[in-house]
Amino acid sequence: MRFDDMTEAIGNTPLVRIDPAVHGLINIDLYAKMELLNPFGSLKDRAAWQMARPLLAGAADRGDTVVELSSGNTAKALAMLAGMHGLKFKSVTNRMKVPEIKDLLLLLGAEIDELPGQAECLDPTDTEDPLSRMHRTLTSNGSGYVHTDQYFNELNVEAHLHGTGPEIVKDLDGRAPDYFIACVGTAGSSTGVARALRQHDPDVRVLGLVAAKSDFIPGIRTIDEVHEVGLFDPGVYDTIETITSDDAIDGLLTLVRRCGTPAGPTGGGAFQGAVRHLAAIDATLTERRTAVFIVCDRVESYLSYLRERRPTLFGRPARRNDTRSLTDDEVAAAPTIDVNEAERWSGLIVDLRNPHAFQALHLDGSINIVDELFAELLHGGLPFSRRQPVLLVCPVGEKSARYAALLTRMGHPSVRSLEGGIIAWRDAGAPLVRD
Amino acid sequence: MSTLLTDLLKRPSGESLVPDLRPLQLTPKIDPITQSVLAEDAVLRQLVDGLGSPLNIVLPEALDTNVEAFRAVYRQHRLRGRVYFAHKANRSVALVRHLAADAEAGIDVASLAELQAALSAGFAPERIVATGPKNREFLWLAALSGIIVNADSLDELSELAAVIAARRLPRARIMVRFSEFASHGVQLVSRRSRFGVPFAQLAEALDRVDKHANQLDLVGVSYHLDTIGLPEKAVALEGCLAALDACRRRGGTAWSLDIGGGFGVNYLADGREWERYTSELAQAVLGRRAPMTWNGHGYGLRNEAGTLRGSLGLYPAYRPISGPGYLDQLLRAAAPGQRRPLGTLLLDSMYDLDIEPGRALLDQCGLVLARVLEVRGGEDGGANPDHGDQRETLVRLDLNARDISLEEHGVLMDPVVISAAPPGPIEAYLLGNLCLESDLITRRKVVLSRRPRPGDLLAFVNTAGYFMDFSATRALHQPIARKVALFQGGDGWSWCLDEHYWPVHERAEAA
Repeated sequence: MRFDDMTEAIGNTPLVRIDPAVHGLINIDLYAKMELLNPFGSLKDRAAWQMARPLLAGAADRGDTVVELSSGNTAKALAMLAGMHGLKFKSVTNRMKVPEIKDLLLLLGAEIDELPGQAECLDPTDTEDPLSRMHRTLTSNGSGYVHTDQYFNELNVEAHLHGTGPEIVKDLDGRAPDYFIACVGTAGSSTGVARALRQHDPDVRVLGLVAAKSDFIPGIRTIDEVHEVGLFDPGVYDTIETITSDDAIDGLLTLVRRCGTPAGPTGGGAFQGAVRHLAAIDATLTERRTAVFIVCDRVESYLSYLRERRPTLFGRPARRNDTRSLTDDEVAAAPTIDVNEAERWSGLIVDLRNPHAFQALHLDGSINIVDELFAELLHGGLPFSRRQPVLLVCPVGEKSARYAALLTRMGHPSVRSLEGGIIAWRDAGAPLVRD
Repeated sequence: MSTLLTDLLKRPSGESLVPDLRPLQLTPKIDPITQSVLAEDAVLRQLVDGLGSPLNIVLPEALDTNVEAFRAVYRQHRLRGRVYFAHKANRSVALVRHLAADAEAGIDVASLAELQAALSAGFAPERIVATGPKNREFLWLAALSGIIVNADSLDELSELAAVIAARRLPRARIMVRFSEFASHGVQLVSRRSRFGVPFAQLAEALDRVDKHANQLDLVGVSYHLDTIGLPEKAVALEGCLAALDACRRRGGTAWSLDIGGGFGVNYLADGREWERYTSELAQAVLGRRAPMTWNGHGYGLRNEAGTLRGSLGLYPAYRPISGPGYLDQLLRAAAPGQRRPLGTLLLDSMYDLDIEPGRALLDQCGLVLARVLEVRGGEDGGANPDHGDQRETLVRLDLNARDISLEEHGVLMDPVVISAAPPGPIEAYLLGNLCLESDLITRRKVVLSRRPRPGDLLAFVNTAGYFMDFSATRALHQPIARKVALFQGGDGWSWCLDEHYWPVHERAEAA
């Protein structure tokens, strides 16, 4: 396989059979369309390329910026494509809730505009929401923007009508599957694939999956939000079902741990939704059927999302010398000294506050080790000699007492905590300096 | 595919996701204190008989709970600083006097008359902060009385200094309000504001203060953003921390960071009702169910070729994290630059945190009563849907949309019916007492627990913050509501006119 550039690697992804031992369906062969194997990492590579390609001519000469309302994979793909063609890329969003994706986009050189939250004091005369205002800026002539408009752009659908859909039929030896399951985001892939499959066999049943209303699954819209999508046509789907973020994560774990498929939450949701929907049908079947779902993207970008919702998945062994292992008695017994005594202290003074606060004002002669770093140091053992007296300083004497208790437990004989912290010191009129 | 949508949108359970015709309640959150007032229906009737409809009721004692809840968040974060009540949320003197009796609470005044009210209620000057743009008279009384002046612009700093210099007044404690904070990495778009000094002019602002050092004593900096968005506030708070650091580098002694208000209130009892209502509203705008609003009003949503456009122009009435909980969340949020919790950064630098809640401090602090004048239509229970409009129930009230500005502020909740009529929910539009087509109390069809009769009362609960007297007018010579303070007397509620309330009534003295 020799290519001239990475766009040629878009598409032609494998269709992989899921082991029946994993999904438990008896009469249905379940296949995953592995869109995570696209070069920029997701299904959206297809639509992004399809939409951007006709806009590229002349855009670089004019110095235009490609712009899209996206908080995820489309932005990622467009940022890469824009970079390849010497264009800037800007993503406008109010939904960028996954920090890794934000960081990744910045790494790719994208500019990110986040839209403001709703006004607390409503202005009823303000009928234009920020999104509409943004749209107007983008579409005015000579704006310097090339807007791919994924939620309304028919090319988004066509990428799948001519690509993803026919590939599935080809890999099933020229037959359309009996069931097609897709999560609804821009509705581009589900609409395009469904159209292609039905051209082949009008009886294909299409299941659309949306998120429950108050839930958040990256890449899937809620039952309300789908109505804001220009490409969404309820007629495409035979059934629309809701899935929860819990479902999506369960499915993700199955794909990741048992199917050799590093799928993100959208793929996990599609798998879980597919199995749930098909299980009921499976029991009534007497002949073999096939079903296809889409694995949209990869798991790596969602670690913080998973950590937030399933912290137990990331349980790490307890580290030694951790203040969290202190008992209340140990903390209460932490050796402290008051401001008067502290003013006569001749040993080392460690200030645990953040560097800005330290640099602004501190006790003369003290050194700054911010508490997070100090905690790391202590995991490794005592960071100073037992013969070196140490006074710990924090804002109110609470954190310093905990660290003093921990250091005492670690065998340091002359560590002290400043009672009441630097605030008590200031309130007593003791001197603070700035270097 | 020409199947009906109703057949398409099925949950796995088989439950339909499209139009169901159960009444779309938005049940208000009613705390015990409000509930115990509603239970006194005979007293409420007498009050409206004696003082007229509409009638505003304030509950000064409910303030104590809210102030305490904010202070609990301060304690949790080990922070010090003052809770200033944003007076503009309600003109009641009873509320102001009650708060003045709390030795630690402060008040935020935004006009000359509000300052007079605060001073006459007994607030010591160090407990008063003046915010917003100010005229010369306001600046003069502020400087003379020695309150804190939160300057809204550079010119205001100069004008204040000039007033002080010309009249040889004592040096004024001032803050500077900043706006238009810059974010790093991700460009956070903020709503344009007409208040405050652009953060880019920080050095200029500090120069201006230094120039008038004999008149102005900078004690802190502030921001106030009109948004419910936490990320924007995190950027602003970190910006203000940087401003205080800059001030300190110049040898200044400013210790306070005032983060304004905007903590919000949770108005509804049940999040599912709110979700269902907003989902159905979208369906109604798309024409997939019967209208739920007067003339099919979409509250900002519109139907463009079958696609929903616009954005919902409603206050998010169900807000499980609001008021003190929102403050806690903000303080726990990591500063976008330093990636350390904002509360920890404040504490590290020994800064005091000041806040100016209005709405959030008035949660459950009052209600508006209105008399029912007429109940029209809907007797057949709307059995014949073909006659839609004629069958709709219209309830005309002796108050208007200015008296209870729920609609203006986009807050949707059902009023409580005080009536001996038999229970059984009905849907109705509420009409006001102005001879004006647009005088609807709410364009949403509300759900009433029973069909009221003329002479019955409707109670609009939890309306002390911004909805009670903010917009009331004497249009058509209609009266402006009288205001009554209810307080715990010997046994149960006692009342007096708002202007007669002082927080030294019997029970307070006995305690």
